[in-house]
Amino acid sequence: MKHHNINIIAALMLLWLLPQTGKSQQYTGISGLVHVPSGEMNHEGDAFIGAHFLNKAMTPDTGFIYPGDGKKYHTFDYYISLTPFSWLEMSYVCTERIYRKDAQGHVLNWSKDRYASVKIRPLKEGKYHPAITIGGNDVLTTGYLPGHTDVQLYFCNFYVAATKHFTFGGNELGVTLCYRYYLRGYNSKWNGIVGGITFRPAFFPQGRLIAEYTGNEFILGTDMLLWQHLRLQASLKDFKHFYGGICLQFNLLGKKYTY
Amino acid sequence: MFHRNPFFRHFAIVAVLLAVSLCASPPKAKGQGSSPSIDFFSGINFGFSDMHFERQYDVLLQLTPGFKFNFGNHWQLAGQAVVPIVNTYGEQYKYVQIGAFNISKEFRISKLHLKASAGVFDMYRYGVDLKAFLPLCGWFAFEGQMGYVGTMYFNETFHINKPNTFVWTVGGDIYLSQWNTQFRGTVGRYLYRDYGIEAEAMRHFNHTTVSVYGHWSNEYGLDGGFRIVIALPPYHRKHRAVNFRLASNYQMSYSVMYKVYSNRMYHTDPEENIRHGWFSRDLLQWGSHTMEPDFIITEKKKKNETP
Repeated sequence: MKHHNINIIAALMLLWLLPQTGKSQQYTGISGLVHVPSGEMNHEGDAFIGAHFLNKAMTPDTGFIYPGDGKKYHTFDYYISLTPFSWLEMSYVCTERIYRKDAQGHVLNWSKDRYASVKIRPLKEGKYHPAITIGGNDVLTTGYLPGHTDVQLYFCNFYVAATKHFTFGGNELGVTLCYRYYLRGYNSKWNGIVGGITFRPAFFPQGRLIAEYTGNEFILGTDMLLWQHLRLQASLKDFKHFYGGICLQFNLLGKKYTY
Repeated sequence: MFHRNPFFRHFAIVAVLLAVSLCASPPKAKGQGSSPSIDFFSGINFGFSDMHFERQYDVLLQLTPGFKFNFGNHWQLAGQAVVPIVNTYGEQYKYVQIGAFNISKEFRISKLHLKASAGVFDMYRYGVDLKAFLPLCGWFAFEGQMGYVGTMYFNETFHINKPNTFVWTVGGDIYLSQWNTQFRGTVGRYLYRDYGIEAEAMRHFNHTTVSVYGHWSNEYGLDGGFRIVIALPPYHRKHRAVNFRLASNYQMSYSVMYKVYSNRMYHTDPEENIRHGWFSRDLLQWGSHTMEPDFIITEKKKKNETP
């Protein structure tokens, strides 16, 4: 097991040798840290199409347990997201759930949990004040409509986040503080004050390292962008559980950004 | 006795409107309307739906070859076939269908832009259709559409029913040029004889439009989702008398509730989409038509022509 972890850490370090950029809470397609939302926003016109591996250590404790054996399982999601304006981000996410296994325990069918996320920035970052964003994941459900009873909202949470960046010698330090509330009691371990820091070094301004506290665990991670369109995120929860994804990124206004 | 028959009554209304509109004096056309040409093109329809637990997705992939013959002054003959390539949607999608075969005419009476069409449309419909667009100022316009249609499709044999459905929509458009953002609201009677309302917010980017929409139907209730339209390259084209190209756009739409009969309306043009609207760019300068054009089209020079 230890060998396995060393390999993952080595892979993270290797990825840092490549050109990189990013500011994504990437499993939702919305900007942020890894699991913690931030006050940052993607650029106007940015569109993402991606998929993310969700370690069972980071999925909700209900909805992602197979009823047949009572065990949690690793899964993944996929999403599209868009930043139509500099102050608004939206995304649509499908998370895979095991629907049926055979007698040997092999998965026969997957089903999907769908949700939408939205993030608004009422206050842009200034010289002396942080950027403030409010938002939520899994904010809509068809379960409240007539004829529907399945109100799931496994990932439903709302937040207010503030991020301020400080520069010194060309390096950039980002500090994020966030108050988050999960609707479902089984996610309450991620409620309350959460936050993290990011570091973007002067010698490599496209890059970013992330360290965050989710309310229940510590996560270390990094984002990167290859060939301007291929974006990766990799992270470790408590130095043990891998959590990462890949996505295609385009700017629909045709703009190119350094990060 | 004919006036008591709903078929003849509705047909007469639309036919009179079409006749009046076609007889109206057309303005001198420029650009697309001025030189006769024929375009052969092809695109794809790609659909996927999550309706069965046994499959991740049902998939429908169709090839959509077509043509548009512009014979001057904004007269157009358009045709399109819909050819199934991959189909797990069901039996009804396994046949080749006509996506369009109709003649249309665009023209203008003062500020009022009109487009009249007759023939076969998509959604397995044929009949007559009239669209109207009235820009009141740079940011607000009224729009309306009415048609009288019947069904027509292939399913082992050829099926055709006489026109029996009168459809209409009226609404307004707001365009905020600073943000290339458009809001559209309509009420109407739709193809499956339901009455409903629809609201849509569109953000136009360089070659892409993304919209979110919501609608309500008295028969089918609430639904919503998003639409994406991508103008397909090449964006610099030479215009010849005969042109072969990709379809002008690829579009997809997502419906949260998958209410396939709710607030549905046919399209008369095989390349019709929410980004480019109903009217030619050279005739109507409003909304997304005031942005940089998706396609820069230059006339092909003749051999003896000096620059």
